[in-house]
Amino acid sequence: MQTASSSSPLIFDRRALRRQRRRAARRQPACDFLHREVAERLDDRLGDVLRDFPLAVELGCHHGALSEKLAANPRIGTVFGCDIAPDFARAHGHLAADEEFLPFAENSIDLIISNMALHWVNDTPGTLAQIRRCLKPDGLFLAALIGGETLDALRGCFMEAELDIRGGAGAHVSPFIDIRDGGALLQRAGFALPVADLETVTVSYENAFSLMRDLRHMGEGNVLAGRQKHFTRRDVMMKTAALYQQRFSDADGRIEARFDILFLIGWKPHASQPKPLAPGSGRISLASAVENMDESDESGC
Amino acid sequence: MSTEQTPDLDPRLLEILVCPLTKGPLVYDRERQELISEKARLAFPIRDGIPIMLVDEARPLDEDEGSKA
Repeated sequence: MQTASSSSPLIFDRRALRRQRRRAARRQPACDFLHREVAERLDDRLGDVLRDFPLAVELGCHHGALSEKLAANPRIGTVFGCDIAPDFARAHGHLAADEEFLPFAENSIDLIISNMALHWVNDTPGTLAQIRRCLKPDGLFLAALIGGETLDALRGCFMEAELDIRGGAGAHVSPFIDIRDGGALLQRAGFALPVADLETVTVSYENAFSLMRDLRHMGEGNVLAGRQKHFTRRDVMMKTAALYQQRFSDADGRIEARFDILFLIGWKPHASQPKPLAPGSGRISLASAVENMDESDESGC
Repeated sequence: MSTEQTPDLDPRLLEILVCPLTKGPLVYDRERQELISEKARLAFPIRDGIPIMLVDEARPLDEDEGSKA
């Protein structure tokens, strides 16, 4: 039914993503500090929701940064963790699944949560629609993904270096969803009470090479479908690193990389949820409401 | 393909799994350790107790296969 990719253009090479995750799965999880940091923040947000979730599914369990927290959460009954890479699924989850082709029945899950996986999805509206479909009515979707202006510095330096040396530039950094699109996507997918917000995490690195190495090691390297399939030329890499150093280094000569984490929250619609009243159904005029506000001396806004 | 001691699939997981392509029901073949989608004519392998619900890892069913269910 809702197939993910037949009509929309392919931005990401999902096979390459799986290969990259497979390699990342074999590594010690030392490089996944970003995933851990975001897992912490996701868990905080989940803590604000005073509800029990008998059955939860985690999309993209990676090295298990979030899975551990979910397992320890007394409000959550059973968690099934999935990852597109069977190696991660075996080590930290329960099944291998592709976020673009979810294998869960309609109305079957109380909570779908995802830490740093959905920014690799080609058809985001399709995936969100599938997520909403799998949730039970009043079920919660909560996700953190890379978005906004993440790695803009690296993107700019790469482009300038390539234009300078090769006379043309390829894509090295993914396109990301910004906060406004995040809210619109949730709404379009039919989520109730949608909220999108952005938190910036700034990470300091020795240089651009260590940044790129870390990205690869945490399974977040470049898997754009339109990427150059050969290694980037050494002189381009050197120039990129030099530009980055020149423009974005601090007093100690370390560079900063910016990660904008987009948090998406939405509920599957249910009759019990608060809804705006139908237009024209109000029984008190706005003018009298404002008057009352003045009288009670409340500065509401 | 089946190993001697295959960890059994969690029945709660089995209950909510559907075919990722058609969203239709799956039949659990315990002996072969596969989840079969009749509609998509695909068998999804279960390796070490982990269902691999990826379309390009699934085995296309033979013509005469799977009609028993």
